[in-house]
Amino acid sequence: MKLNFVPVLSYFDSLLAGLWWTILLAVSAGIISVFGGILIATIINYTSRIVSAPLRFFVWLFMGTPLLLQLWLFYHGWAQLDILLPAMFIGIFGLGFHYASYNADVYRAALETISHGQYEAARSLGFGHLRTLFLIIIPQAMYRSIPQLGNNLIIMVKDTAILSIIGISEMVLAAQYAISVTYRPFEFYITVALIFYAINLILESLLNHYEKKSLIKL
Amino acid sequence: MINSKEKAMVEVINVKKSFGDIHVLKDITLSVEKGKIISIIGPSGSGKSTLLRSVNHLETIDAGEIWFDGVQVNQPQLKGRAFEKHINRIRQKMGMVFQQFNLFPHLTAIENVTLAPIKLKKMAKKEARELGRYFLAKVGLTDKEVVYPSKLSGGQKQRVAIARALAMEPKVMLFDEATSALDPELVEEVNQVMKQLAKEHMTMLIVTHEMNFAQEVSDRALFIDEGYVVEEGDPKMLFNSPTQERTQLFLRKMLTE
Repeated sequence: MKLNFVPVLSYFDSLLAGLWWTILLAVSAGIISVFGGILIATIINYTSRIVSAPLRFFVWLFMGTPLLLQLWLFYHGWAQLDILLPAMFIGIFGLGFHYASYNADVYRAALETISHGQYEAARSLGFGHLRTLFLIIIPQAMYRSIPQLGNNLIIMVKDTAILSIIGISEMVLAAQYAISVTYRPFEFYITVALIFYAINLILESLLNHYEKKSLIKL
Repeated sequence: MINSKEKAMVEVINVKKSFGDIHVLKDITLSVEKGKIISIIGPSGSGKSTLLRSVNHLETIDAGEIWFDGVQVNQPQLKGRAFEKHINRIRQKMGMVFQQFNLFPHLTAIENVTLAPIKLKKMAKKEARELGRYFLAKVGLTDKEVVYPSKLSGGQKQRVAIARALAMEPKVMLFDEATSALDPELVEEVNQVMKQLAKEHMTMLIVTHEMNFAQEVSDRALFIDEGYVVEEGDPKMLFNSPTQERTQLFLRKMLTE
């Protein structure tokens, strides 16, 4: 059987529309995962065990169960309880929280590596506890976390493909529609794979650039 | 509450401090008059750093009183937020320099210097930049404004740290072994900055290992050992003809090293 990429070209518009959704999902969930993660890590590290208990439970839950299952639970499970949320909302927050949990773990480790001298220096200037955390400790922990955050971000971009199962017409689902009409799975899937690869190449070089720039601030 | 000795900038009265079973400060009394420079010397583990940190309330004392510019620093009756507000206000007027510099690595030299004036004094950014330049020039680092600490030598870092403390225009400067972590050839550049401050009559409380420097700059020196002030007096007298046996022993040891 010969490969024929002409159908891919004629459905390229719908693939591009899917790419747009993929990017929207990745950027929104990425922002939630990066800033949600630091929020979770800060609360867990700097409040009492009782206050942080619910958060630690959710982190444990998100990290300990499959993403696929979480998405089905939020999508079909809540629908059964008559809580109807748009798939896009569940996709963004589901993916965002899942990776926020992983990032929280990265940040927690980074927060612990900041020397106590940093805290004391800020306090000795007259900064209060919270301002010291937000101006001095947290920014440093974020810079130190960039390499691992980058890894998680790349894995997350790839996991946007999973959101096709709750009916979000991102790239993979767009390809599946096209395949159901053209019967050309190989051509479409290889095209989508290449697009993902290209996205991550760009992302990786951006992250590398930023990582190098941040080295000086460590 | 008005301090009895109004001229004293810092007063430490019968201060006691323990870490668990270890009594680090057993009964310490000292005062630093306005414009004077007091050096504290003593063997490691004698409690001199703990004493200095207590003045800034980085350590909480167990008993006694610490006064700064007519205000009591340790106020056992103030709790929680009220104490936080109280101590933050005091610390803004008290510059502290650490052995390990503790510059903020994610900020440039000038950002390190201007952060507190901008955030705590609500100074305009432009005005703060001028202030930052002024103090960096003062410590001889005009050309390092936009350099990150990771690109500075130890001596340069400590000078930025001094500029950072000075930018809040403190009434007293506390130096906690400011040159102990430095390579020998870098000590002098930091000492020069401290000598300049001495000339300008900055009130200073200095914990140091450097006898020559202490003798040169200070108005009075204290020898602390095992949680007590063993001997106190004119630095020339204290270093050259100490009356207490323990001081003599310590100085002899330092000289043979």
